[in-house]
Amino acid sequence: MTASGQQMTVDPAQSLRSAARRTRAVGTALVGPALVFVLAINVMPAFYGFYLSLRRVFFFGDEGFVGLQNYTALLSDPLAWEAIGRSLVFSFGALAVAVPLALLSAMGIRRLGRWGMVLLTVVLVPWAMSPIVVALLWKWILVPSPGGLMGSLFSALGYPPRDLLTDPVLAMPTLIAIAVWRNFAFATIILAGGLGQIPNDLYRAASVDGLHAWESFRRITLPLLMPSLLIVVSMLTISYFNEVQVIIGLTAGGPIRSTTTLAYQLYHTGFVELDQGRGNAIAIVMFLINMLLIAIYIRILGRQPGGAT
Amino acid sequence: MRRLNAPVLVIGCLLGAVVALGPILWALSTSLKPTSRIFAVPPELIPSEPVPDHYYRLIAEGVHWAFLNSGGYAMAAVALSLIFGVIAGYGLSRYPVPGRQLILVLFVGAMAVPGFAVLLPTQIMFVELGLYNSWAALPILYAGHVLPFAVWVTRAHFNAIPRELEQAAQIDGYSRAEAVWKVVLPGARPALLAAATFGFLHSWNDYVTATTMIDSPDKRTLTVALIFFQGFHGRDWGALMAGVIVATIPPVVMFLLFRKYLIGGFSDGSVKG
Repeated sequence: MTASGQQMTVDPAQSLRSAARRTRAVGTALVGPALVFVLAINVMPAFYGFYLSLRRVFFFGDEGFVGLQNYTALLSDPLAWEAIGRSLVFSFGALAVAVPLALLSAMGIRRLGRWGMVLLTVVLVPWAMSPIVVALLWKWILVPSPGGLMGSLFSALGYPPRDLLTDPVLAMPTLIAIAVWRNFAFATIILAGGLGQIPNDLYRAASVDGLHAWESFRRITLPLLMPSLLIVVSMLTISYFNEVQVIIGLTAGGPIRSTTTLAYQLYHTGFVELDQGRGNAIAIVMFLINMLLIAIYIRILGRQPGGAT
Repeated sequence: MRRLNAPVLVIGCLLGAVVALGPILWALSTSLKPTSRIFAVPPELIPSEPVPDHYYRLIAEGVHWAFLNSGGYAMAAVALSLIFGVIAGYGLSRYPVPGRQLILVLFVGAMAVPGFAVLLPTQIMFVELGLYNSWAALPILYAGHVLPFAVWVTRAHFNAIPRELEQAAQIDGYSRAEAVWKVVLPGARPALLAAATFGFLHSWNDYVTATTMIDSPDKRTLTVALIFFQGFHGRDWGALMAGVIVATIPPVVMFLLFRKYLIGGFSDGSVKG
């Protein structure tokens, strides 16, 4: 009775507002669980990692607060800077191979029409595989024996088989090649999608104007593809910067640390040596670099029509 | 121009296909050779007398249990992430949610953060929560990794389904939940399949989370079991390549079956490679 009596005196605007509040409550109830889940798994550990990075933690034993000691020790360690340098070499080396390769294959795939989808599927198969299984597979291919696949290629070319993975100079380029083999085709999907958005009329007009293939690529394809290219570059940068499983499986950071990137250093310090305070300091440094990369990525995505938000 | 490029294009494509599939076919060939033939010079590209021995050896070592674990973890993770993801995707698509813009940015950001960057604190957190080395650890983590993508693709598809369809179903006497179940979800099938496939690939293919969260041999995933097998029998390339093939078949079959949805999902939103 009282409720209905109250409703009589309430003006329509207010009852609309309470209805709006109700639908907002329903919306929150629907989104809340997923939000909490994502915060708990993806965000909370970062804060907890920061807390741990300020403490001395060994083998799950917390030995107390040490302030920024883990960071100062990390940043004054030349090995850490070398690892950061190797992360840059690995990430940008892989990018420099993967992006042109993805662009070329995307253009080929578009020109092939129906067969293009078949080719895209074929080159995507390595991407569907587990990175650690990829590492096992390539370890066998690279076995330095005349009976191995690479070994027999070497002998066919007149060289003795050599072990690329234990060569301090060649180990890194080998890892880069395998990392690119594993996932460049993923970038092809997005670039092929981007190419599909470019109106064909532009190319027709260009050929009427007498533009060469290279010129129409430079003046039409490249500028119009720029948004997709930027997405691809930022996604691959994040992916290569955090690549660790291929390194664990193939070289374990060696020989003589020549493939110890920051990601591998984190794995080694945190999970092998169990120096978890310092490991968390590395994790925080990596997390911050990732956040920077992601911020750039979201900005690029946000600028796209029909993109992120 | 077309004609001039055609041979180059064909050669390029063949080369691409050989480079992509060659290593996998070489592993398949190795896994079927008797041990004495594996290092034959010159290499036999196709085994002259294929034998299944290396696959039996994996079973003798109990690797098939790890295969089942991997499948179970992946399916549990897919179920978890789809349930939470569909509900949240629907909420974001149909209801006003306070802080909605921020939530969307958070999901995109979480989609891009690689799980590995926060794995170390996660491990210590799970030790303290008693989840370390439990059956629930990996499904929870994998679902958390996949969930942002699941929300993202389902939301995009729900946005594309006209509200009038649900309203019509409600006028026909269905409740809202029934309308969603009977009208909206079937319409969003491509998004559900994209999220499920991505979730399966992510979970099945993981190694580093599994090796740092699980300690007991009976709870190991296939990838962890294979690395342990390699530790004990490092030179047994026949059995190792059998393991590579066995670990590769489920994700590749999933990928081939649902590639249309997966590729579509990636072109809509974007996700880590």
